[in-house]
Amino acid sequence: MDLSELERDNTGRCRLNSPVPSVCRKEPCVLGVDEAGRGPVLGPMVYAICYCPLSRLADLEALKVADSKTLSESERDRLFGKMEEDGDFVGWALDVLSPNLISTSMLGRVKYNLNSLSHDTATGLVQYALDQGVKVAQVFVDTVGPPETYQERLQQRFPGVEVTVKAKADALYPVVSAASICAKVARDKAVKNWKFVEKLQDLDTDYGSGYPNDPKTKAWLREHVDPVFGFPQFVRFSWRTAQSILEKEAEDITWEDSQTGHQEGLRRIKSYFSEGPRARLPHRYFQERGLESATIL
Amino acid sequence: MESSDGEAIDKRRVHLRPVTLRDPAPVLLHLLPCEVLVNRPAPVGLFFTPAIRQGPDGLEVSFRGRSLRGEEVVVPPGLVGYVMTEEKGEVLLGKQDFSEGLQDDEQEEQELVEPPEALERDFDRFIGATASFSSFTLWGLETIPGPDARVRGALTWPSLAAAIHAQVPED
Repeated sequence: MDLSELERDNTGRCRLNSPVPSVCRKEPCVLGVDEAGRGPVLGPMVYAICYCPLSRLADLEALKVADSKTLSESERDRLFGKMEEDGDFVGWALDVLSPNLISTSMLGRVKYNLNSLSHDTATGLVQYALDQGVKVAQVFVDTVGPPETYQERLQQRFPGVEVTVKAKADALYPVVSAASICAKVARDKAVKNWKFVEKLQDLDTDYGSGYPNDPKTKAWLREHVDPVFGFPQFVRFSWRTAQSILEKEAEDITWEDSQTGHQEGLRRIKSYFSEGPRARLPHRYFQERGLESATIL
Repeated sequence: MESSDGEAIDKRRVHLRPVTLRDPAPVLLHLLPCEVLVNRPAPVGLFFTPAIRQGPDGLEVSFRGRSLRGEEVVVPPGLVGYVMTEEKGEVLLGKQDFSEGLQDDEQEEQELVEPPEALERDFDRFIGATASFSSFTLWGLETIPGPDARVRGALTWPSLAAAIHAQVPED
């Protein structure tokens, strides 16, 4: 799997895909959707689809694909290699969502939560397969959130396709297992070869699993706090673990959209009123431009 | 008449070191749509500048996990931007030694003349320019600040101030 495009710029999102097997444009196909790296506070989240003709599903099963969580890293790499060898009937595509994209989405003025981000990414990948001419007949999705509403949404979006959303779909359907392997292989590789955007020297990359409850990950986070910038972009700032470390170990920040009765946030505005009874508001011209006279330094 | 507060402030004059305005090094500045509630040096060159990307609608970066969009703002013609810093106790002595070295002749002359009551006293405050700029990067939260940004408006004040304070010819 060639992740060089991601390595060039890992601040946004990155789509990778196999060539589309020509048989998938002719015969009805089954398509699986799964994700890797949803929980960790570090690194990207990867969404993957894997598809093959319904008539070749038995050949995919014969590879003995299984839920990626039950496989070792080397088994996953080997199975992904097998799928590449079977590129004449197995296709895949994935979307790598950088931790920076996740942070900025979740911490936006208008909050874009992880479930919506996941749903939209999965939808985007199915649409991508359709755009490539893959004859998608059935879609199996490992659920994020309640399966019923998710299935309804996907079914509405893709009326010509039979959609099944289920918990643990990655263990039930081989095509979802295959997708989970693609996603996990990409996520592992992306994390291992992560190019830090920041110019940090002697960066210790021993950050454990990346899961918030891993003591090694927590220790790494605490060690890599900068009081002003917080963390490198490798960290998902929107995770509670990251936020609570920042609250304790980094400087407070007041954003222009976060002045909701916070004492610090109001200080500057209050200063207009607190200069004694004779103080007048400055002219609108100055207020609109944020200009104040510098009577004290 | 004067309150004691006023006297305390009056006593501490603020002096500008003119020599620092002569040739301060140019510097890159970023104006963020947030306030960091502390004043301290920050590793901008390690965390921030390497992460800036040229996007389809201006510069892109993130700060503390929030997305910023930025653009260059040029200081209006005829004006220069300075980064002013107050000298702290220890620095003060060093700076004085430095300026004596630079202005050797002047200093000697002054000593010969025997100055009257010094304008600069131990307890006064001193500010000097540590850097200069002719433009800076203005960052907006998720959107380009654009032509209506407050800072752009603020930069129109010097020319307006000059106009309204100009001598009106008596006709």
